[in-house]
Amino acid sequence: MLCHLTRKTISGSEDRGKALPRWAGRHIGRCEACRDYARFSASLKTRFAGDRSAFLAAVPEFPLNDAAWDVAGAGRKERVSLGRRLVLHPFPAAAGVLAVAAAAFLVFRTVPRAPMPTAEDQAAARAAFKSLVAAPDGFRGALTGAESSLEKEKRIWESSVVSAVEYLQARLNIRIERRDPPKDL
Amino acid sequence: MKTDEELAREARAGSRSAFEELALRYKRRLFVYLRPRLGSDQDTEDMVQETFLKLYRNIDRYDPAYRFSTWLYTAATRLAISSYRKKRIAVVPLPAEEAGGVADPAAGPPAGMEASGLWDSARTLAESQFRVLWLRYGEDMEVAEIARALGKSRVAVSLLLHRARTNLMKRTGAAPAGAMSAARHASAGGPMAG
Repeated sequence: MLCHLTRKTISGSEDRGKALPRWAGRHIGRCEACRDYARFSASLKTRFAGDRSAFLAAVPEFPLNDAAWDVAGAGRKERVSLGRRLVLHPFPAAAGVLAVAAAAFLVFRTVPRAPMPTAEDQAAARAAFKSLVAAPDGFRGALTGAESSLEKEKRIWESSVVSAVEYLQARLNIRIERRDPPKDL
Repeated sequence: MKTDEELAREARAGSRSAFEELALRYKRRLFVYLRPRLGSDQDTEDMVQETFLKLYRNIDRYDPAYRFSTWLYTAATRLAISSYRKKRIAVVPLPAEEAGGVADPAAGPPAGMEASGLWDSARTLAESQFRVLWLRYGEDMEVAEIARALGKSRVAVSLLLHRARTNLMKRTGAAPAGAMSAARHASAGGPMAG
């Protein structure tokens, strides 16, 4: 178990490029198998690097099909040039704006607003207002008519409430008294 | 000599020759990486072509913040998985792979590839273990980069690397005498330095 843990620690230290913890170093000092593993792991970088050239040289030679890259490259250029056209050339954008403006002009039409009142109109309005203010009798009569209408509404409402109270008294066999009347309705 | 990332930037700017240089640098490496999964040389060559085609088509999407190799292996891995699902290529038994098992050591290197020491021993491991070894030691990638390329977590990649080392040691035996001191010189400050 300790050997297994030690070897995993050796591997981890090898990968991280850090020194072994002291306990692992002590175990390696005592355990020959773990010492072998540590030696083997530490030697791998050099040994693999030494064998790499011969290993790659043994790979069979094969040509690269770079003709296919031309097709792929053409597609890439088209993609790039499309992006550049949109970014670097303002003329298509300006043409688009003009087309939108023309379409808006065809769809909508401008209608002139109603003319502002002239000075004569304003003077006539002022005169009409003064004549209204200057006729207090008629105006008061109108106010009195409105008041009498309100009184009438108040009476109707009060009679409705009274009849409702009477109904409740008769129905529930109770007596309902009126509180102090409101000062103003 | 220009770096991969410089070439990729030039290719992104429209230089076809820069992309050709990248393809020449990586075609054998990609072949080695894809061969165990795809099973045959012909399928592997086709997949290498397809990968470069896809990269060339999408070179304007390359992010220089990442290494070019990470981008390339990520694309290759995804294409290989997609191809596997489509064609159901089953040269290497999938259940053993998924279970973290190992391939038949007697199988040896694929046709056309001669034995060349430690890498050939690594190739007899499970395909997933070989892939992480290749990316770690063949491409000098960090665990995080491998995780990104394979679409796995860092923990999963670390575990795969540990299994690969353990199984490789069983195949090849302990490191030869002197390997330890050579490794110490090569990677001063490494895990054994403490």
